[in-house]
Amino acid sequence: MKKGDSLPQVYRVVDQARIEDYAHASGDFNPIHIDLEFASQSQFGGTIAHGMMVAATISEIMTGAFGSNWAKTGKMKIRFRSPVKPGQTVTATGSVQRVSPDGESSRIVCAVSVTTDIGEVAISGQAEVTVPA
Amino acid sequence: MVTDYGDLQPGQEISRHSYQVDEGLVADYVAAVQDENPPLRDSDGVQLVPAMAVAALSIRGVVQDLRIPGGTLHAGQEFEFMSAVAVGSSLDCAATLVQNSVRGNWRFLVIDCHVTDDNAADVMSGKSTIMIPAGLGPRETK
Repeated sequence: MKKGDSLPQVYRVVDQARIEDYAHASGDFNPIHIDLEFASQSQFGGTIAHGMMVAATISEIMTGAFGSNWAKTGKMKIRFRSPVKPGQTVTATGSVQRVSPDGESSRIVCAVSVTTDIGEVAISGQAEVTVPA
Repeated sequence: MVTDYGDLQPGQEISRHSYQVDEGLVADYVAAVQDENPPLRDSDGVQLVPAMAVAALSIRGVVQDLRIPGGTLHAGQEFEFMSAVAVGSSLDCAATLVQNSVRGNWRFLVIDCHVTDDNAADVMSGKSTIMIPAGLGPRETK
């Protein structure tokens, strides 16, 4: 990996069934995610996906690129910028910003983001990982 | 049990839970996020838990114990993973309030999360920033 390299992208269709699956898997039953009537009265006009569910796509591209190094040494700092609604497709992308050799390993810093099919940035931030040199 | 978010003080432990990360829990998580990566395994072939499944567990207790009301938003998240977790491990997830402030119509809670394994070794640390509508308190439990 070198500066400027792109990580393999992940595409994901977000639907209400998956949001409800995530609520059960995570234990987060905030009605903004799963209660259609409650959510219709919110500023979003309907349900939205859990931020952590969408952020999982970033972890997926980091795992795909760096394997178990991500689980052992990964670091991520993200902001949730706009909601993802059922029916939208999201794309998680990453690109290498910096590679810092350190002895027998290298620290790789990546810019990461998740965008929706209507062009909104849902998540942006940075992820980094240490890999053997 | 918290009844008014204004009473929460920085430094206060707000949640602590232990979880057994079994195959079922991991399978449910992977299915929900539709992760298409093959399962990670350590050098002995033991299946590893996806990193974000650990992260999700780290805030599960916070959501439950604070009885986060509808309309709450997740504004930001930081994670640092220190070691991989084998499927079947037990994890201890603790959360401590770092900041409690009101800006405009929102209350901002910044929460440190820390996860350790069966051997008390650090697995993950993180920081969550959540925004709660300022006028709302914890939701009623059934």
